[in-house]
Amino acid sequence: MMKPTEHPFRSMLHPLHLRTLSGFLLAAAACGAATVVIHPMMDWMDPANINMLFLLVVFLVALRLGRGPALFAALLSVALFDFFFVPPHFSFAVADAQYLLTFVVMLAVALTTGQMAARLRSRVDESSRSESRTRDLYLLARELAGVIREEQVAAILDDFLRRNMDGHSVLYLPDDLEKLVPVGDSGMADDLAQRAYQREEVQERLGATGHGETVLYLPLCAPMRVRGVLAVALSEDRHESERGLVDAVASLAALTLERLHYVQVAQESELNMASERLRASILSSLSHDLRTPLTALVGLADTLARPEAGLPTPHRETAQALRDQAMDMSLMATNLLDLARLHTGEVKPRLDWQSLEEVVGAAVAWLGKQLDGHPLHIELAPDLPLLAFDPLLMERVLANLLGNAARHTSPRTPVFVRARLEAEGVEVEVSDRGGGYPEGVLRAEAFRRGASEPAQTGAGLGLAICREVVAAHGGRLRLDNPPEGGARARFTLARGNPPGVEEEA
Amino acid sequence: MSTVLIVEDEPRIRRFVRLALEGEGCRTLECDRLAAGLERAAAEHPDLVILDLGLPDGDGLDFIRAYRSWSDRPLLVLSARSLEADKVAALDAGADDYLAKPFGVAELLARTRALLRRAERRGGEEESSVAFGDVVVDLARRSVIRAGEEVRLTPREYHLLTTLIAHRGRVLTQRQLLIEVWGQGHGEDGHYLRIYVGRLRHKLEADPARPRHLLTELGVGYRFKG
Repeated sequence: MMKPTEHPFRSMLHPLHLRTLSGFLLAAAACGAATVVIHPMMDWMDPANINMLFLLVVFLVALRLGRGPALFAALLSVALFDFFFVPPHFSFAVADAQYLLTFVVMLAVALTTGQMAARLRSRVDESSRSESRTRDLYLLARELAGVIREEQVAAILDDFLRRNMDGHSVLYLPDDLEKLVPVGDSGMADDLAQRAYQREEVQERLGATGHGETVLYLPLCAPMRVRGVLAVALSEDRHESERGLVDAVASLAALTLERLHYVQVAQESELNMASERLRASILSSLSHDLRTPLTALVGLADTLARPEAGLPTPHRETAQALRDQAMDMSLMATNLLDLARLHTGEVKPRLDWQSLEEVVGAAVAWLGKQLDGHPLHIELAPDLPLLAFDPLLMERVLANLLGNAARHTSPRTPVFVRARLEAEGVEVEVSDRGGGYPEGVLRAEAFRRGASEPAQTGAGLGLAICREVVAAHGGRLRLDNPPEGGARARFTLARGNPPGVEEEA
Repeated sequence: MSTVLIVEDEPRIRRFVRLALEGEGCRTLECDRLAAGLERAAAEHPDLVILDLGLPDGDGLDFIRAYRSWSDRPLLVLSARSLEADKVAALDAGADDYLAKPFGVAELLARTRALLRRAERRGGEEESSVAFGDVVVDLARRSVIRAGEEVRLTPREYHLLTTLIAHRGRVLTQRQLLIEVWGQGHGEDGHYLRIYVGRLRHKLEADPARPRHLLTELGVGYRFKG
């Protein structure tokens, strides 16, 4: 930390010194004026009364001009009284030794009253100054309360400092990388600002601009976090006396910035909600627009493929292929839209107490002929409890995994669905005895982190949905190629406390 | 000859539905809007109405409620697969069954046949026993025989089974089943059904995980297929 250093060579024309100097001059003028006024009347005035008039002058000087001028006026009064009014006149010599006592008493009284008056004066000054500060701060707070942009905060603070303490300020706010950037300016913050921000400590720079200015870097500590740094440049003598005010300004700025931050958060979330709604409505109309022609395509191709249509066999087979392709396309569209819905959070799992056996059955029934030619072994532990999951989403998971197994293995390759009770839940497994997952799928799995998904091809789409659905149920889809061969997908569904049923007598 | 009214705004879907139904010997009527569909239904008294839930001029549920205020003839709704809640609402409002888009001709005909047959059977003689797989349910004697041996069902299991059988080929929503078997207070206790249907499958199905008669319509309800 740098310590403020003394600057011995100060210009005597500095405003503060000018003001002091004028105080002394005024004090001298007042004493001189008193002498001029009293002098013509000295013949018929008692010296004690003249003495009183000088004391009055000292008192007034003390009241108006403060301690220094009052002391000066007291000494000057005694001197003038001696010179002009104590015989022998126009000499500092004193004829009657009695007057020495008068001088001492006069000096003592002048000094004491002067001190007291000056103290009173400085109290009054202080309280009026602090009152005006309070008013200024209140006005600043009111101005900041109406602010909606950070640039406005910077401008208002700068303006306040210029008006109230001949200073100026720069507001630094952190960017996304926690680097401070001055508001309304493209430059970078200097090191001290950055240090103040990181350490949450005030930093000082002396004589930064070459004419006795001190720059204070104040971290703007709001209740939640440090919101930025306010750099305040003040003349050196002010930076001590106005420090309290500067701190108050900084905390007002911090609160304002925090408020702006939350306003921004609120606006963004409103914007997000609006765009989510838009996305949901696009998805649902897209889903309708895709499904309608596909339904027509499936139905029309199916009409042609039926024996009643009387088409020759090759044409009928073509029509069948057309129908199957359209069905596949429809499934792909459903998967894509489901994935998009899951991603946007539009589809939230509707958890209910479900039977795994039932959902496995539904998935197998839904796949229908796709599983033909693959021996399917369903090995579910007896007495599996009901589990909390979304039956439709879980059916998608099982149907996709089973469909993949059927599609990617040669005919007659056995496919397994297993579920067993474990300590933390029920582990569900879909596996086959085919060639296993390709390296690429497993590698992608190893590198996968969080929600960022690489682009999915048609084959990976089903897995992507499985992963999303399992994640939405609080689990993680684990893919591997076990030593006994084939591909294996596993996930665990947490056990809960399923509600009971009234048993019959 | 049965008359079927198709209320669907996509002409190509109407076209293949019409072709399929005409192949079955049905007479078909077509409308592309709800309002026109209701007028047509009132004028022509079709034996079956096939209604698309996604029509542009209004809510299909209003159609169902209006239609049900004067007719109890079968009504089949068409809806997108992912909109389970819409299907349940349509079924609870009085639709008899649904088909998820896209669907094939075979499914469409299976549903229509089941609905038309049920309409014909209504008012006819009561069945005294129903057989499926290796199971025979003797409704008169309230007994269930599987492969020659009596299967013990609790009263609720039996009630659930016969309710499903009474609406064979047709989906019943969870709510409809719960209210029928457990009473008004249990309309939301879906887990009762999961447990009871599971028990019935273990008692009556050859492979409970791949049921052939007590079918699940996931997110909607259950269907008995004889």
